Amino acid sequence: MTRDEVSQRVKKVTARELNLNAANIKDSDQFSVELGADSLKSIELVAAFEEEFNVSVNEEEALQVQSIGAAIDFFAKLLNK
Amino acid sequence: MADSDLSRFRNVNFAGTVSVGANSGTITVDGVELPCGIYNATIANCVIGDNVRIANIGSTISNYHIGSDVLIEDTASLAADTDSSYGNGVELDVVNEAGGRGTILFNDLSSQTAYLQALLRHDEQLTKNLSSLIKAKIAKTKTAHGIIESHVRITHSGSIHNVNVMQFASIHGALFLENGTVLSCKEHPTEIGEGVHAKSFVLAEGARVDGGAMLDKVYVGQGTKIGKQYSAENSLFFANCEGFHGEAVSLFAGPYTVTHHKSTLLIAGLFSFYNAGSGSNQSNHMYKLGPVHQGIFERGCKTGSFSYVLLESRIGAFSVVIGKHFTNMNTPNLPFSYIHEEGGESKIIPGMNLFSVGTVRDGEKWPKRDNRKAANKRDLIIFDVFSPYTVEKMRRGRNELLALSESVPKEKSFVNYGGLQLNRLLLRKGAKYYTMAIHRYLNDKVCSRLSDALGHSKSWKDAAAQLRSKKILRQPKNWTDLSGLLSANERVASLLDCIRKGDIVSYDQITQELERIHSSYRDDEWEYVCEAFAEEYKAEPSAMTKTQALSAIEEWKNAAVSLHSMILEDSKREFGDFAKIGFGLDQLQEDAQRDFDAVRGTIETNSVVQKLTSEGKAIEQRFSEFKKLVEGSVE
Repeated sequence: MTRDEVSQRVKKVTARELNLNAANIKDSDQFSVELGADSLKSIELVAAFEEEFNVSVNEEEALQVQSIGAAIDFFAKLLNK
Repeated sequence: MADSDLSRFRNVNFAGTVSVGANSGTITVDGVELPCGIYNATIANCVIGDNVRIANIGSTISNYHIGSDVLIEDTASLAADTDSSYGNGVELDVVNEAGGRGTILFNDLSSQTAYLQALLRHDEQLTKNLSSLIKAKIAKTKTAHGIIESHVRITHSGSIHNVNVMQFASIHGALFLENGTVLSCKEHPTEIGEGVHAKSFVLAEGARVDGGAMLDKVYVGQGTKIGKQYSAENSLFFANCEGFHGEAVSLFAGPYTVTHHKSTLLIAGLFSFYNAGSGSNQSNHMYKLGPVHQGIFERGCKTGSFSYVLLESRIGAFSVVIGKHFTNMNTPNLPFSYIHEEGGESKIIPGMNLFSVGTVRDGEKWPKRDNRKAANKRDLIIFDVFSPYTVEKMRRGRNELLALSESVPKEKSFVNYGGLQLNRLLLRKGAKYYTMAIHRYLNDKVCSRLSDALGHSKSWKDAAAQLRSKKILRQPKNWTDLSGLLSANERVASLLDCIRKGDIVSYDQITQELERIHSSYRDDEWEYVCEAFAEEYKAEPSAMTKTQALSAIEEWKNAAVSLHSMILEDSKREFGDFAKIGFGLDQLQEDAQRDFDAVRGTIETNSVVQKLTSEGKAIEQRFSEFKKLVEGSVE
């Protein structure tokens, strides 16, 4: 899967879970600061990404991902292993 | 009055039969050493020991036996009736405000025997026999006079009527005390302070009630503190509870129930190891049949500020409740969960509290904060956060979540679980969290025991034999929490059977049996571990090969490291950008950081983070040691 495809899906899932407009989400956006994902929402987001990409992620590694860009990199790397 | 110095009786009226011991000594009153003796008092029908000072009594001291080295000064009255039971025998309506769970208040009450009285009312024979044994115990201690034991201090207080006060207790500035017993001992004196108004009560050793607290039909356990205008009725507070500012009605506060803030009402519920945020509230009333609803908060729960829980509800152990919930919740098989409110809906995130740094801190602080200094610890407590009780619930919860994840269609965003909305995506996630915690617990127990065994013998066969379960329990997976005491269900059932059949003939025998259950915990826990391990891994620990043992060690390490890392991440959130809001007011950005560092410290210097970091290293070290021991064993 290309980075662009991953990016599109990361933003789509983020928008759906956090009730945002995907078009307004930037790679530099921090989940907690700009997008308002508290610790409870973060858990749901990780679960939503897992279902979207049909993968199981390492919890502690996933929770260290702070921004949209980092999430794109994380899943692009995981999916292209 | 043979040994008394008569010059030390001034302005005294005696009535009835009074005996007074020697009075040549002195006693310290408000920092000043004053002579013993009796001054400005009327004494009726009393036996007074040696070196007692009684002074400035408003009306009388009547019908009391007073020990030696006692001070009673500046007190309105101290009187006992000939037929009082000093709070013993009063029935408290706990858990259900409308009654039906009446619990007899008496000096030898414990959180376990209160639980047996209150929570097993369906068993009529048991309730009847238990009640008879308690009443017999009360009858044995009944006297026709009040008792003030040696070394008691009663000063600057109002009316005290039918109150027994045991050795070394101190009552100062109390407003009104009636029908109660103040248990106390040299190791842990009990204290009643300023402004207290209490009726029908028993205070256990080391309790402190002050600050204008108002008690009506209340038990206050060992090391428990009630004050700052707290008000409580029909309530039990067992060991190490704290109640300040708020209100309790029909509360069964098991050990370590803590409520510190105003507007917090704990009502009609069973709690233990609980922490109430300010304004925590429950409703036991639906304006239909009266206040008949009850709540069960299993051990370790917390409720956030201004949380509201509609009763009846049963909240799983170590769960956090945030927000207002107008639904009846029932989540015993989802312990360690977050229950929160979103858009007026009640939602649950199963297992999320497993990696909260708060849960870790709680588990560590309770044993350290055991205030009890009396030799006889009345409440039996097993402190373990992870125990057969909580782990088996996680196993049940995990299986329920997995079954739901199989059956719920993808189009459905949420499922209803126990009255709460559960995000479909979290079914597998919650199951995964529980699996991690279950495997960490089971493998930790197995590896620890294996490590001990291999420390004694390098023979794999001998070490494996040490892992055998004694198989005494028929149902090692069924556990209960008797308000602090974790026990295999069948041990409790056996005790209840003996009470029911009349094989137990005294209350003391019940407490002895409970102590036996308490001391059998580690053996019973091991039986559980063997059973659950066999189900999880299809092999009993004692039947493991070296390869399987190495795999168990690996699995333990992975689960422990994973959970530990998540806890560490959680603790680091306390140093994130949100945490810095309000620091460095009207200063430059860098001042905000410096202000934060000065007040809160840094991640590097924070003691909790430091401790967690070193614990992470300890896991790795323990892993290496386990591995080395197993690899070095001889087949």
